[in-house]
Amino acid sequence: MSTTTTRGVASPAPAKVSKDRPRRGLRASSTFNFWLFTGPFLIGLIVFVFVPIGWSLYLSFFEARFTVTPSEFVGLENYRMILSDTDFRNSLVTFTVFAAFIVPTTWAMSLGLALLVNRLRFMRAFFRSVFFLPTAVSYAAAALIWKMSIFNGVRFGLANTVIGWFGVENIAWLGNPDPPWYWLVIVTVRLWLQSGFYMILFLAALQNIPRELYEAAAIDGAKPGWQTFRYITLPQLRATSTAVILLLLIAAYQAFDEFFILLGKATWGMPPLVELYKMALGENQNYGAGSAGALVLTALICLVTLFQGKIMGFGRGEESQ
Amino acid sequence: MTTTAPDLDKTPAKPAKARRVGGVMGNAGLYLATGVAAVLFLIPFYLIVRNAFMTDPEITGEEWKWFPSTIQWGNITEPFDDVTVDFARSMWNSLVVAVLHTVGILLICSLAGYGLARIPYKHANKVFYAVLATLMVPTAVTFVPSFVLVSSLGWVDSYRGLIIPGLFSGFTCFLFRQYFLGFPKELEEAARVDGLSYWGAYWRVVVPNSLNFFAAIATITFIAGWNAFLWPLVIGQDPSAWTVQVALSSYATNQTVNYHLIFMATAISILPLVFVFLFLQRWLVQGIAQTGIKG
Amino acid sequence: MSAMRNVNWDRRTVLRAAMGMAAAGGLAACGGNTGRSSGSGDSLVQYFHAYGEAGTEQAIKRYAKAYKDANITTQWITGNNFEQKLFAALLTKNAPDVFEFHPQIQLIKSGQVADLTDIIEPVKSDFNQADITSHTVDGKIYGVRMIDDPQFFFYRPSVFEKAKIEVPQTLEELIEAADKLTTSKVKGAFLGNDITTVQNPLIWSAGADTLTADNKPAFNTDAVAEGLTQLRGLFTSGNLLLDSPTDWWDPSAFTQGLTAIQWCGMWAMPAMIEALGDDIGVFPFPKVGSAGKQSVTNGGWSMFVNAKSENLEAAKAYVKWLWIDQKKYQEDWALSYGFHIPPRTSIAQSATKLKTGLPAEGVKLFNEFGHFDNIGWTQAMIAAVNDVMANSVRKNADPKAQLATAEKKVDAELKKLFG
Repeated sequence: MSTTTTRGVASPAPAKVSKDRPRRGLRASSTFNFWLFTGPFLIGLIVFVFVPIGWSLYLSFFEARFTVTPSEFVGLENYRMILSDTDFRNSLVTFTVFAAFIVPTTWAMSLGLALLVNRLRFMRAFFRSVFFLPTAVSYAAAALIWKMSIFNGVRFGLANTVIGWFGVENIAWLGNPDPPWYWLVIVTVRLWLQSGFYMILFLAALQNIPRELYEAAAIDGAKPGWQTFRYITLPQLRATSTAVILLLLIAAYQAFDEFFILLGKATWGMPPLVELYKMALGENQNYGAGSAGALVLTALICLVTLFQGKIMGFGRGEESQ
Repeated sequence: MTTTAPDLDKTPAKPAKARRVGGVMGNAGLYLATGVAAVLFLIPFYLIVRNAFMTDPEITGEEWKWFPSTIQWGNITEPFDDVTVDFARSMWNSLVVAVLHTVGILLICSLAGYGLARIPYKHANKVFYAVLATLMVPTAVTFVPSFVLVSSLGWVDSYRGLIIPGLFSGFTCFLFRQYFLGFPKELEEAARVDGLSYWGAYWRVVVPNSLNFFAAIATITFIAGWNAFLWPLVIGQDPSAWTVQVALSSYATNQTVNYHLIFMATAISILPLVFVFLFLQRWLVQGIAQTGIKG
Repeated sequence: MSAMRNVNWDRRTVLRAAMGMAAAGGLAACGGNTGRSSGSGDSLVQYFHAYGEAGTEQAIKRYAKAYKDANITTQWITGNNFEQKLFAALLTKNAPDVFEFHPQIQLIKSGQVADLTDIIEPVKSDFNQADITSHTVDGKIYGVRMIDDPQFFFYRPSVFEKAKIEVPQTLEELIEAADKLTTSKVKGAFLGNDITTVQNPLIWSAGADTLTADNKPAFNTDAVAEGLTQLRGLFTSGNLLLDSPTDWWDPSAFTQGLTAIQWCGMWAMPAMIEALGDDIGVFPFPKVGSAGKQSVTNGGWSMFVNAKSENLEAAKAYVKWLWIDQKKYQEDWALSYGFHIPPRTSIAQSATKLKTGLPAEGVKLFNEFGHFDNIGWTQAMIAAVNDVMANSVRKNADPKAQLATAEKKVDAELKKLFG
C-alpha cells in the first residue's frame, strides 16, 4: 500500500529466522506462539467465513430453490443462467459507472476538505468535527432523511422547496428515471456519509509532509498554491491516495443499503449486491443462482483489485525492499 | 509512540511567506468556502432536528417552515412510549452489541494481526493471503449460509448471534497487521531481552504503546457495530432482540408513516455516536495518522 | 517490566489464557437467548406483517393469549421486510409454525406449507367460494383466508363536482380527470410510488388476465400494451403524484391533499372517514380499450401452517381454533381496526359496519368487479410484471417488447412449477 515505507500490503512478515531459537521448548517456540495469537481469529474465520463461502460454492452447482440443502446437481447451469441474465449484467455496468464516478469524486472532495481544514487557523477542530460527523450516521438513517425530507417528490421536500423559489416544478427525484436524478440522490448521500472519514486520512497525511519540502520549494521559486500542490503535496499524498482509492473501490462494490432503500422496485441503477439479494432472498429464493452470481462477483472484485494494484503501484513497497 | 503523533490542532506546516501572500482576502475566501461546505454538511442534521420537534401537519404542510412554530418537546418521549416498538430496549441492545462487538474485535483481530506481523512462522504468508482473500468476498456470498449456520446453532434472537459472527473481520486484522509491521522493533527486542515471552511482550509493551491505534480502530468498529442493519434485521426476529437500526426501519416501513416519530427516533439513535465522536475524535485522528491505513 | 509472572508460563497458565480468550470470544454468558425451547409441543411462533391500523398488534396478541392449548409468540414484522424475513426464516429451525401470506403455489410445490383440508372442509360452504378456489391445489386446501381486501380508487365527490368531472369509466377519462384536477399544490392522481400496484387491474381492465385457466400466460395482449402506453402518458404528464413519502397503502397522500385521486384499499376507510368525513367516493380501475371491463383487486391475507414445523398438529389446532371456530375474533379482526371484508359468509352478512355508506360501496365493487388471487401467479411472476411497469411506464421502453420478455420469464417459471 505504500511507496514510502516498507509496510507493503502484500509483503509477508519479515522472516526473522535467526530469532527463532528453540529455547524452553514448546511454549517459547514461535510456531506455537503464532498459533496462540492467530488461532482464535482463524478458527472464527473458518467457521463464520470460509464455511459459508464453501457452502455457497456448493449451492452454486445445485438447483437450490426454496432450500439450502439441495439434492439436484446441475453443474454449471446456474453460472450459465446468471451470466445470461440481463439484470445481473446491467448491474455490473451500473456498478462500473457508479464506481467510475463516486470514487474520484469522493477522493477529490475529501482531499479538498482536508486542504481547506488544514489551512484553517481558527475553529479548525470545529470544522473538522462538522465534516466528520456524518460518519456517525448509518446508511439506513441517511437514506431515510434523503428520501423523506430532502428528495421526496412532493411540496414539503427540501429540494423541491428550494427549486420552487425559482419557479421550477416539483421533480420526482427517484420515481422518474428520465432524466436520471436518482444518481444525484444516491451520490450525495454517499458523499455526505463518506467524505469526512477520508478527509481525516488526508488530514493526517498532510500533517506528515515535512515542512522542509515547502521551504525548499519556496527557495527554488515555486509559487504557493497550485505549483506547490501539484509538485509537493500531491506526490507526498500518493500513498494515502492509493489506500483511499482502494478502500473506496471496495466500499463501492459493497454498495447495498442506500440503493436498496431508495430505489425500491426500479429496474435501473441496481448494483450487483441488490440484484443478488433479490435473487436469493427476494421473490425467487434461488440460492443456487444467487450463489453463482456472488462468486462471479467475487472473481471480478479480485481482478479489479489486482488491476488497480498494478496501475496504482499497489504493493510496490515490497519491490523496493 | 504518542509523542510522534502529529498534532492536528497545531498550525499547518506552511512557510510563513506563503501565509502572508494570501493575506486577508485569501483568509476570508478560505473561511467562506469552508463555511459553505460546513452548512451543506449540516443540512441533514438540521432536518432531523427540525422534523423531530414539529407536528406532522407542520412537516407536510403547504408552506415550508424553517423552524417549528412551537417546539414539540413532548416528541422526545414518544419513541419510548410507543407500544409496538420497544425503543429503549433496542437502544440497549445496540449498546450491548456495539460494545461487545468492539471489545471482541479489538482482542481477537489485534492478536491475529500481531501474530501475522511479528511472529516468524514459515507458513505465515499463506495464512495472511487466506485472510486477505476474505476481503474480496462480498457479504451477499456468505449471507444466507451464514444465517442458516447461525440459526442451526440456535443463536437467532440472541446477542451471540448478533455479535460473534461479525468478530472475525479480515479487514481489521489486516489493519492491525499493517500497523504492527511499523511498530518499532527496538521496544519489543528490549522486552524480549528482559525475558518476556511473545505473549508477555505483547501485553506489557506493544499494547500500552499502541493505545492511539486501538482507540482509532475502536471508534470505527463501534460505529460499524452500531450502524449495522442487514444482519441484525434477519437475526433479530423477536422485537426484544432488535437493534436500534432495525427499530428505525420498522418506523419507516410501517403502513402509516409518522414523520416526527421517525425523525425523533433517528435523532436519538445518532446521539450516542455523536458523543463517542466528540470524545474519541482526537485519538481517532492521531491513531489514523500512525496507522497502516495511510501506508 | 521484567518481574512477576513473565518468563516461564507453565502449561496451565497458557491453557487458562486460551480459555479466557475462547470465553471472551464466546460471550456465551451474555447470550440471553430469547428463542423458544423446542420440543415442548405447546409453544408456537406466528408471523404477521405489521398492519398500519392502531390496535391491530394488540388484537392479534389478545387472541393468541386467549388460546389455552399452546403458548403463542407473535412476531410482528414491519412492512417492507416481511417477505425477506419470512423466506429466510423458513429455511431454518427457527421458522414460524404459523404465518400469514398470500396463496402462491411455490409454497406448496416446495413443501413449505401444510395441507389444511381437514380443518376447512367442515365449514367450506361458509367461505366465499372464490377464496376457497384461490387456496386449492389438486383438491387440497392449503390456507385459511382471514380477510379480503378490495383495492380501488378513492376520490372526493365535492372536488369532482367543482371541477365538473364525472367518475371516470375509461382510462382516457381517468387521465383527463387527473389533468383537470392537477394544481400547483395538488396532483391529479396517485398510483403508488412504483405504479406496480395497478399492474393487475390494468391487465384485467384490458380484458386480459394474468394466467389462463390452464396456467398459460394471458397478459401479453395488444390492449394491455395500449394501456401501458396510456399510463406512460399519464406518468410523463406531470399530473401523477410521484415520490410521495408514503406509499399507496397509506391514505396519507390522499388525506393530506397531495393527490385528488388515490389507489388504496378498503382497510384505509376508517382513517379516511376520520380525516375527510363523508366526502369520499370509490370507483374501480376504469376500462382499458374497447373490449375491457372495470376491475378491482381483491387482495387479502391468509393463514398458513409451516409443513416442516415440529409442532404441526398443535399449529393446525391453533389455526382451526382462531380462524375457523372463533367467529367473534374473526369479526373483530375484520371490522374493528381497518375495514376488511370477512371471507366467512355468515360473518359478512351480519357485518353492519359494511352495510351503509362508503364501506357498502366498497363491498359492492368487491362483488361486482373483484378479481381474487390466482394461486398459480407467484412472486417471481409478479416480479416479472413489476419490471414491465418499471421499464415501460417509468422508463420509455416499448410495452410490447417488455410484455414479451415478461411472458418468457413467466413461461419459464410455469414450466418449473407445472412441468
